[in-house]
Amino acid sequence: MKNQRLLPLVAAVMMFGSVHALAGNVRIIANPSVRAETISASEIKSVFLKERNSLGDGTHVEPVLSKGGPVHAAFLREYLGQNDDALQNYYRTLVFTGKGLMPKILHSDEEVVAYVAKTRGAIGYVSPAVTLDGVKTLAVYEAEKDAPRKLMARVEPEYPAVLQSNHISGTVRLKVTIASNGKVEDVELLGGNPILGEAAMTAVRKWVYAAGRSRTQTEVSIPFDAGG
Amino acid sequence: MYRRTAVLLSICLCAARLSLQAQEFKLFDREVQIHGFATQGFVYTSDNNWLTMKTADGSAAFTDFGANVSMQVTERLRIGAQVYDRNLGNLGEWHPSLDWAFADYRFKPWFRIRGGKVKTVIGIYNDAQDYEFLNMFALLPQSIYPLDMRDANIAHSGGDLYGDVPLGHRSGTLSYTVYGGERRDSYYGGYPYALRKSAAPVDLMSSGGPQYGADLRWQTPLPGLLAGVSRMNQHDEGKGTFVPFWNPGAGRIPYWADAKQYWLNQFYGQYSKGVLRLDSEYRRTYIDAVDFNGTSSAQADVRGWYVWGSYRVAKRLQLGSYYSHYSMTTVYGGILGMVFPPRVDTSRPENHIYDKVVSARIDLNRFWNVKLEGHFMDGYGDGPFPDGFYPGDNPAGFKPNTNALVVRTGLSF
Repeated sequence: MKNQRLLPLVAAVMMFGSVHALAGNVRIIANPSVRAETISASEIKSVFLKERNSLGDGTHVEPVLSKGGPVHAAFLREYLGQNDDALQNYYRTLVFTGKGLMPKILHSDEEVVAYVAKTRGAIGYVSPAVTLDGVKTLAVYEAEKDAPRKLMARVEPEYPAVLQSNHISGTVRLKVTIASNGKVEDVELLGGNPILGEAAMTAVRKWVYAAGRSRTQTEVSIPFDAGG
Repeated sequence: MYRRTAVLLSICLCAARLSLQAQEFKLFDREVQIHGFATQGFVYTSDNNWLTMKTADGSAAFTDFGANVSMQVTERLRIGAQVYDRNLGNLGEWHPSLDWAFADYRFKPWFRIRGGKVKTVIGIYNDAQDYEFLNMFALLPQSIYPLDMRDANIAHSGGDLYGDVPLGHRSGTLSYTVYGGERRDSYYGGYPYALRKSAAPVDLMSSGGPQYGADLRWQTPLPGLLAGVSRMNQHDEGKGTFVPFWNPGAGRIPYWADAKQYWLNQFYGQYSKGVLRLDSEYRRTYIDAVDFNGTSSAQADVRGWYVWGSYRVAKRLQLGSYYSHYSMTTVYGGILGMVFPPRVDTSRPENHIYDKVVSARIDLNRFWNVKLEGHFMDGYGDGPFPDGFYPGDNPAGFKPNTNALVVRTGLSF
């Protein structure tokens, strides 16, 4: 039930929020055993540098690398900020000083997908063009300050009767300003039917998010489906 | 000796041709990895013999190798061990040693523990100083990482607490290591060799004692910029035999020495951006010891620093240079003080080594490199603290300057 409620939020965040699943030319994939739906850029860096082997929710993860190629180069540039020589030296320093094992290095995107699919906790990166089978895609947010605030209490909007009876559907997009204490401070309509938008804003003003260190903004989308 | 080295190198090359990937297999359904490395060097010097080799004639007595096995037992527990062996002139002499062997348990990324025989974290390179394939140069700056003092600081039998603490989006990451244990020098290390070759020879049978310290390094928010500080304290106790130089008629008698103070401080910074890398470190080591069975004392103050830069000019070619500055003062007391005058003038060649180095590294492939390096040294620092130049290796006396050509090749998988 809880997951069902969160699904629209995750979907909305993935579609319109500050996160992006396909950062540049790289898609971050994980074994379905990884519970998280999102991952921060700094988490990716610390996982692939073997500084940590779990995500914020406690899920164990093991990095899998590609051997060369444009996707590998793009991943190093975007997330690790170093070239392949430096990374290999870093791993060998870990190995020869006893601080870690060498991560799995595979030769193609297809091998990475296959390995991640069958290996519990595996996390890797592939080209956005590759066919995914048996793995999940993790949405990436750039920095901890951009992490989506967890929604603690959600109020569903009332469907305006006149629109529903006339089978007028649509999705509205809202920009939500969340205070540090988690209360919704402001809601702005970004797109969609204005009447549906008004109904959505009325409901969203009653939402409560997890407390944070500062005021944040996020975008949410709310679908209205009048049915048959 | 040459034949043995050639055979070793051939074996390594054959092994490298067969497979340069890490060897992996499953044990109790857990992944086990095996890695290894081997290096071979050749050193030719213009005048003085260096690093316990007969380098004035050209010497290839410069070989080392190691192999390790590691296993991730659980998601949090990892175990592993490495064997290391070297023959560097009169050091090592092919006596293998357990380089490290420990269990590592991760509670949180910011709190981990490891125990056993553990590589000691000091500065940028201490725990990785044996692995030439990880850096630009054939020889690390000897002012900070002397090959002949490797045993003193390379590892301790004990435990570490360590971890990484993110400081927030704009503040970088702080990494800490706190350690404690015991150091135990090999009989084939530089310090026992220096005593055997000194003006008052001692056959040091055991040397070591408690060792503890900490390292704190800050990965700054500026990408590629690292700054850190290390501190080590130890209590070194030596035992052996000697013939009292003030009374040779007494014959060989038991010997002991005891360090009242023995510490080092190290400060370091590193910046890397793309193919450019800049490093700098400063280390001060201070030893205040009671020597020759309590009849003498010695205070040694050793200071070293270096700056280095390296640049990858092509995919397989890297060029680099460093300047390494080493100086030492020693003040003797008791009987030693009556025989040996204090050495406090660091401008004299016997109390310093200033080394200018240029180097080229050629990566034949990902696993095999060759380095060519020129050293231009001012001074020979032949004091009681091992620093590469020994009177016993230079019976005709020292020349003030030494130029050296170092060729070294390394394999790792």
